Amino acid sequence: MLRMSLLTTLVLSLYQDAAHAQMSHHQHASEAACEEPTLRCATKVTPAFGPDGTLWLAWMAGGQVSVASSPDAGRSFSAPTQVTTKRLNLDWGPDARPKIVVDRKGGIALAFSIFRDEAFNGQVLYTRSADGGKSFAELKPITASNESQRFEALALDEDGTVFAAWLDKRNRVFAMEAGQKYEGAGLFFTSSSDGGTTYAEAKLAREGTCECCRLGLTFAAPGRPAVIFRNIFDGGVRDHAVMTFTDVATPGEIHRVSSDDWQINACPHHGPSLTVAPNGTYHVAWYTNGKAHKGLFYAHSRDEGRTFSPPMPLGAPGRNPTRPYVLEGAAGTVMVWKEFDGEKTSVQMMISRDDGESWSPPKTISSTTDSSDHPLLVSNGRQVYLSWMTKADGYRLTAIEDQP
Amino acid sequence: MRRRFAGILGLGILIASAAGLGAAPALKPFERGTWQSLLKGHAGRPTLVHFWGVTCGPCKVELPLLGQFAKDHPGIDVVTISADLVPNLPAATQSMLDKAGLSSTENFIFNDGFVERLRFEIDPAWQGDIPRTMLISRDGTVTTIEGSAEMADLEKWSGQQLGTQ
Repeated sequence: MLRMSLLTTLVLSLYQDAAHAQMSHHQHASEAACEEPTLRCATKVTPAFGPDGTLWLAWMAGGQVSVASSPDAGRSFSAPTQVTTKRLNLDWGPDARPKIVVDRKGGIALAFSIFRDEAFNGQVLYTRSADGGKSFAELKPITASNESQRFEALALDEDGTVFAAWLDKRNRVFAMEAGQKYEGAGLFFTSSSDGGTTYAEAKLAREGTCECCRLGLTFAAPGRPAVIFRNIFDGGVRDHAVMTFTDVATPGEIHRVSSDDWQINACPHHGPSLTVAPNGTYHVAWYTNGKAHKGLFYAHSRDEGRTFSPPMPLGAPGRNPTRPYVLEGAAGTVMVWKEFDGEKTSVQMMISRDDGESWSPPKTISSTTDSSDHPLLVSNGRQVYLSWMTKADGYRLTAIEDQP
Repeated sequence: MRRRFAGILGLGILIASAAGLGAAPALKPFERGTWQSLLKGHAGRPTLVHFWGVTCGPCKVELPLLGQFAKDHPGIDVVTISADLVPNLPAATQSMLDKAGLSSTENFIFNDGFVERLRFEIDPAWQGDIPRTMLISRDGTVTTIEGSAEMADLEKWSGQQLGTQ
């Protein structure tokens, strides 16, 4: 009998240990601090300033997409509005996040991706708020195609046109039917002349792009979107290219940013960044692990993205520099990226006040000891801010120009 | 006596079912320190460690080929690690492993939200691109294949390791 109770105790304690282990795994396993749809629980937070200087955030948390605004640069926030009503299988890939643009009239256009089936085929959904973020229209797919779409990007033109680009595998079907090999995905695009209420029919800009990295998208000039993406060049080389559109309905030629020679059949999950200065200079930052270059790099183009300066390496090689982001601001061109020292992640910042010719030494402007979102930059026209979501310390908005 | 027997029988079934689970191993959590224990656990044995993820297109193509490789090379320890850090993933991960014929290999899933730290322990230069295969020879030499592995390369390596080439 004693043996029985010993055995029972053993079995019970094993079960309890397993239960405890499972609970602690759950907390550790998640990139999120908590499971509610609140900002504190978010894993991906995307910022945008409205025309009146209001900061808007769109975030993913608790399986939902929500939006809130801050009148005082992130010190306080409005009550959040939940954009999604039912729990969706949001695209939680490393380079996915909700996108937000706020137009001159205060209209808010949003887009994000979900996984629509068990094979992880994606779908890009969009919505819009016409009442200052109090409510959002019913979610709609950005294209009628049922093939996989992911990595959407939004940009706003001066006249209020919303331009959208994404990676789309619809032509895989035709290639397979024809017995041809299909690599990567197509770069598709559309635009909306009613502030993101409806979008024109999707068009192909470029076939054969890498299928799992974020796009960098901006307007190079009024009516002329410019996009940077990881292209698949001959021989399966996944190096970066820039395309400047002739207008919002007409794609342009592609130009290689750098011959990094990264021949790989894989998902790098690590996309580039592009900003265009008022004088027309393109500033780009990207990650590669090619034969010619390995790590993070910066380059600029003074001929509308046709040729680029030699790649300039970024970050400390032993500290795994990742997730570069570049943005033109009133005081100069700002660049941030993450580094990891074995225990903590820091955000490094450099600024150029001469259009990318020379850069300040890298400076740590924020750090955290647990998981974190990519560091993003956002400008209100006067000042550039670092926007960074961290699991341990919550959401942070840090003014770059305040940094000594 | 009969009741006692029934009790012991009940426990026996519990333990047997636990052992049964061990025979068809479930996904193991890959956490801080797991990499070092994995290396120790397979020290002296040729080991193929494959990093992959359910949302990665090239991984889906490669995984069944790896399943066949594991079947054809019982002398090589094959270990898979799902390095996608996403919620509610174990079921999808297990299902893809089962379909690829990798049910009975040692299979891990990333289980720490601080993914930078996990990757840093494995290879400080790895930024998370998948698929990725690390070939660990008997003497501990590690050869990393970025992107989809060519099965011919795996065959060549295993031949060298098993002394058939």
